[in-house]
Amino acid sequence: MVIARIKPIEEILGFISGKKSVLVVGCAGCTAVCLAGGQREVDSLIVDLKDNKGVIFDGYTMERQCEMEFVAELDHLIDGFQAVLSMACGAGVQFVAERFPGMPVFPALDTVFVGANREVGQYQENCRCCGDCQLAYTGGICPVALCAKGIYNGPCGGSRNGKCEVDEKTACAWCQIYERLKDQGRLDQIMNIKKPMKWKNQTQGTLVQRGYEKFQQD
Amino acid sequence: MNIDTKKIKSMLDRKGRMKIFLSVCASCGACADSCFYYRNSGDPESTPSYKALNSLGIMFRKWKKLDYDDLTAMKKLIWGKCVMCRRCYCPLGIDISSAISWARTICRANGVYEDFSEGPSGIKDK
Repeated sequence: MVIARIKPIEEILGFISGKKSVLVVGCAGCTAVCLAGGQREVDSLIVDLKDNKGVIFDGYTMERQCEMEFVAELDHLIDGFQAVLSMACGAGVQFVAERFPGMPVFPALDTVFVGANREVGQYQENCRCCGDCQLAYTGGICPVALCAKGIYNGPCGGSRNGKCEVDEKTACAWCQIYERLKDQGRLDQIMNIKKPMKWKNQTQGTLVQRGYEKFQQD
Repeated sequence: MNIDTKKIKSMLDRKGRMKIFLSVCASCGACADSCFYYRNSGDPESTPSYKALNSLGIMFRKWKKLDYDDLTAMKKLIWGKCVMCRRCYCPLGIDISSAISWARTICRANGVYEDFSEGPSGIKDK
């Protein structure tokens, strides 16, 4: 899921400076699960912002801000507000801003990565969305996200006793890849030199699943 | 804790179409196979129609008598047994996921919502 964290309150206050009424919009999707932007966090942010005298705050949480049908729930709510504080990931913020082009929409969160839930409140980045997935060849361990150098043909010369030269407390991803493939008898998977990655994530991503091309044209 | 039944009524009134939709549910069960929750568990309470009728359907039927415990009891159904993937299919065209979604929104507006500090499912007892 998408992992996010709340921005410093001073930065948020800077966004809404001069606004007399602000709607805080939560997202019950990923940012609720990572304890950053769900209903509970909306209530909490409004309490923190209410020290700002003379400004009216209200809150509303929808299922997902990355789906226009849910964003449309704001249509009847938004009149009378001078700004919106979105507690979704960057995609959600942009969808709300697109729906209401005349309304200033500010992000209350920093979207940080795509990750997994290790424990409640503890998240680990496991994917950089590079658009060129290598997990099939690397034993299910991502060299892009977990190797400090993001290299495709490793390990580099800085690997020492299974640890990374960048931080001795961090495991070397390529050592882990080697050990796992060795256990599985699949070392041949990394014997060939991989071509440089395509860095598809450097351009805006749009995905149309197979079978849905026709609907997109319509 | 108290809930605001007038607010619930006004929110229900905004979705009058959903009331009609839910009233035409023939309980045919065709939606069941489109729900991965039902297909994996076989639990009849995971059937999309059951989840919609026993959340938003109850709200429409007895909004005046609803209390906080009623909404809390719905948590296991509308959050615990639905991930809002929106793949539920109804041959009569009922938008089941929107009904469940609106039930969630009404619950949230009354202080009943998923709490992911309780665990990954957002509720205490799944």
